[in-house]
Amino acid sequence: MSDQTTTEHDSTAGARPIRTLRPVDFEPLPASAPSAGMVRPSRSYWQDAWARLKANRRAIASLYIIVFLMLFTFVGPLIWRVDPALQDVDQISQRPFADRSAVLVVPFERWEGISLEQGFGDGDGLRLASQPTTQQVRLLWDAVPEASAYRLYRNHFEPQSALVLGVPIASITRDGVHWYEDRLDLRARLYYYSVVAVDELAQPLGQPQTIVADVRRVITLDEVVARGLTEDPAALQPGDAIELSLHPLGTDYLGRDMLARLMAGARVSLFIGLLAPLMYVAIGVLYGATAGFIGGKVDQVMMRFADFVVALPFLLFMILFQVVFGIGPGESGIVPMLIALVVLSWPATSRLVRGQILQIREEAYVNAARLLGGSHQYLIWRHMIPNTLGVILVTLTFAVPAAIFTEAFLSFIGMGVAPPTASWGSMCNEGLKTMLTHPHELIFPAVMISMTVLAFNLLGDGLRDALDAKMRSSV
Amino acid sequence: MKPDRSVDSRLLSAAGRQLIVFTLISLLGVAVLMFALNWLAGLTSSAAGGSRAAVDVEANTITTYLRDEPPQMNSMIATDAVSGMILNHVMEGLLRYDQFGNLEGAVAERWEQNGSEITFWLREDSLWSDGQPVTAHDFVFAWRNALSPAIGSQYAFILYPVLNAEKVNNGELPLESLGVEAVDDRTFRVTLETPIAYFDRMVAFVTFLPAREDFYNATNGRYGADPHEMLYNGPYMMTSWVHGSSLRLEKNPYYWDDNRGLIEVINFAHMTSDPNTLLNLFKDKQIVMADLGATMLDEAMLQGWQIQSFQEGTVFFIEFNHRDERLTRNLNLRKAFYLAQDSGELVNRVIKLPGYLPGESLFPVWLRGVDDSLRDEFPAPVYERNIELAREYLQRALDELGLEQLPQMTLLTGDTPTSRMQAEYYQEVFKRNLGVDVIIDSQIFRQRLEKMTQGEFDMVMAGWGPDYDDPLTFADLFTSWNLNNRGRYASDALDAQVRIAQSSLDTEERMRAFGEIQRLIYEDVVIIPNYERGYVYVTDPRLRGMVRRVIGAEIDFTYAWIEE
Repeated sequence: MSDQTTTEHDSTAGARPIRTLRPVDFEPLPASAPSAGMVRPSRSYWQDAWARLKANRRAIASLYIIVFLMLFTFVGPLIWRVDPALQDVDQISQRPFADRSAVLVVPFERWEGISLEQGFGDGDGLRLASQPTTQQVRLLWDAVPEASAYRLYRNHFEPQSALVLGVPIASITRDGVHWYEDRLDLRARLYYYSVVAVDELAQPLGQPQTIVADVRRVITLDEVVARGLTEDPAALQPGDAIELSLHPLGTDYLGRDMLARLMAGARVSLFIGLLAPLMYVAIGVLYGATAGFIGGKVDQVMMRFADFVVALPFLLFMILFQVVFGIGPGESGIVPMLIALVVLSWPATSRLVRGQILQIREEAYVNAARLLGGSHQYLIWRHMIPNTLGVILVTLTFAVPAAIFTEAFLSFIGMGVAPPTASWGSMCNEGLKTMLTHPHELIFPAVMISMTVLAFNLLGDGLRDALDAKMRSSV
Repeated sequence: MKPDRSVDSRLLSAAGRQLIVFTLISLLGVAVLMFALNWLAGLTSSAAGGSRAAVDVEANTITTYLRDEPPQMNSMIATDAVSGMILNHVMEGLLRYDQFGNLEGAVAERWEQNGSEITFWLREDSLWSDGQPVTAHDFVFAWRNALSPAIGSQYAFILYPVLNAEKVNNGELPLESLGVEAVDDRTFRVTLETPIAYFDRMVAFVTFLPAREDFYNATNGRYGADPHEMLYNGPYMMTSWVHGSSLRLEKNPYYWDDNRGLIEVINFAHMTSDPNTLLNLFKDKQIVMADLGATMLDEAMLQGWQIQSFQEGTVFFIEFNHRDERLTRNLNLRKAFYLAQDSGELVNRVIKLPGYLPGESLFPVWLRGVDDSLRDEFPAPVYERNIELAREYLQRALDELGLEQLPQMTLLTGDTPTSRMQAEYYQEVFKRNLGVDVIIDSQIFRQRLEKMTQGEFDMVMAGWGPDYDDPLTFADLFTSWNLNNRGRYASDALDAQVRIAQSSLDTEERMRAFGEIQRLIYEDVVIIPNYERGYVYVTDPRLRGMVRRVIGAEIDFTYAWIEE
């Protein structure tokens, strides 16, 4: 195996004449007999591989990412104890690190258009009847006698013309009503409200009136208690400042915490991503090794069956499995997904392993071992498995990102987890709808998927180089 | 044995350079290819004669889109909104709604109801697109045909007020015994089962459109399948229909009313309902109008578009399953669910679209009462969320049912993003406020309908749109005999009120009955009203007079014109 010993042997063979053999030469050596000195410390296959992997900076970086991911998935939820299904309706589609100060107010009560808050509602034209808050904006304007309806608009920008006033919030047709209470998706920002009176033919009467409302974020005591924002609810008075719950990565379209959902999604992704490859690679190794080792007719039949499995369409089977397993409404499709992955993905591994085994079987050292009376078991454990282990490990590391990606894809098209469970794929699907306005809902899960897949792929790449026996001691 | 680092690094840098060059070349290639393809696409689409501009002032043409491919244009079996909208442009019934929503004569010049007998006098100048006059016989044929068991129209029930219609539809009586009669070519008489007050308002519906017998028979059952398999009597004619991709309407030269059909050509060049695609098409000035989603309002405001909203008329609600074996049969349980949620929060925080109104009643706000709106005359019961009370009702329900804890409840819903979002919202609301686990059963439309019919749900998110302009179109939904009452709610009190509303000719008495029905549905918590749907949309400022309506065609270009 080692270069040095052979050279040494050759040189001795050339220098000395062949000695006559004596019976003592056939005696076993005592245990204390001096052996050939080692030139450098012996390194096992694994030590060597690890050394080479360590030299590969990309692979090591990927390894760190994967370790971080594991911590994120399994330790993260212990530290960040937020229910991923909890909806914070006060902070819907909130971007990361958004301002979360709010003011405590009394619970909402319907406004009947009469009561005015101190310091509001004076003057004429369109005016505010109370402090504009995220709970409600109360607007009041002078009645136009000949109007049959009023149209109320809201804009983020100052209206430039009488035609472009913004989003139509309401059309008020009831007689004698010249006020409106806006509650639609109010955020802490500036709004420009405009009102136009229209006649029976929907033609505007006069110019629109516009007013600016600087909306302040508020929260009621009930919500403060429900979300556990304070230790001592009794001490709070309306007007007190409150910090809303923290969402470091923002919230999604239902106000759910993105970080908690990413952690919950990671669990699903890694469950599929690790378990499925482990299972199908194990099956593939057993199947391929059996076929390759036995060979002949059995091999032919077994590999044709593997070819048959390769030809089965994955997506179709996925759907069939869901039906067969009776995955009812609202149940998670994770188990059938796992089974479909295992049942349909093993042939690739088995082909690879069979090829390796066929090759190794014909190697001289295996034949030698067989001639010396090595049993099947010995051959398999001593020669076959160690020599295919590298291939198997590499397959495994490449299978992990593929499985994670498959899970993400299936969840993306809605065949994976059932709500309210999150998965990166389903989060991407949901984020897609708000991509233009709240891109963080798409970007975070997408980055997680990409990062994980890339890390596993780079690690697999590094492992392939490290475990390749032919590249041994190149470092 | 150590590899030469310098050789290695030189190799690496050379490889890196090659990689960069290759990347640049391929990027450039892709860019060139894109431009070439775009140019080619431009060539082919102009070769097809389609105008790509939203508004072509010179040719008096507009381009717009359809939400879906219309299944077919046979007015007697059409059920969907898209077919209904096209049919409104190419056909005309006895009566129609004008641009302000008032009922007016169309093919019928005038009409008169005398007890259970209604007579329509047809106008002389209403012609088919081959120049022949529209006669009373065309209506007799179409109505009989719509009821014929052979064609199995799903909307046949809308004709049931006509004498013998139900029996004809069930095959118990011959088609000829239907209570319709062509007194002469221009006089059409309808006999009703019982005198009802709202029949004239129903006549504007699609199923009541005429069809000419000789032409219908000549199409060998392909009536309405293609442009040349149809005869038109409306302001437009269909001149091309590329299935699944585009549809073109041109002005009908034989049409009588000069006030309609002002635009020469209406080109439905796209068939898609994807809001992002529509927004981009509108931005590129390729379509004259587009519906907006909640996330697009910011963009629309930024662009300074004229945004409009419109109440579409459909009411959405969570319907309970009232079948014997279901827990939701328990009134206290239904009350608990009802009091635990807040439709205002759903609309204001989750749906976030103006135009949507928080649901308060089965009856939408646009319905007319005696003089004013029905909801003004009979206000919906004031509802306020009360979680304490909801929990109390839940406990009471559990005691009555003899349960420790409520098992998982199934919430059946559609598969569109919005319906899933709403279902997820309710799932969490019931979990948080009541501690009840709800599982979401998301199904495609047909499957959801099937499950609703089979009763495989505890709660279902359903909606109901009006078929005619009368509160009865909503009021009879939960009668014991209505097949659309999927939760199988049955109450003698409600049935009695609906019978009054059906048979009375006195408007005030009818409206009182509707008020009573509203109260009964609230008190018995038959449904949890969610919202009344609205649309927010943008139109090209040059397009004027486009009408969006609750009853009949949702989008109506027949009164529209182009203004520069």
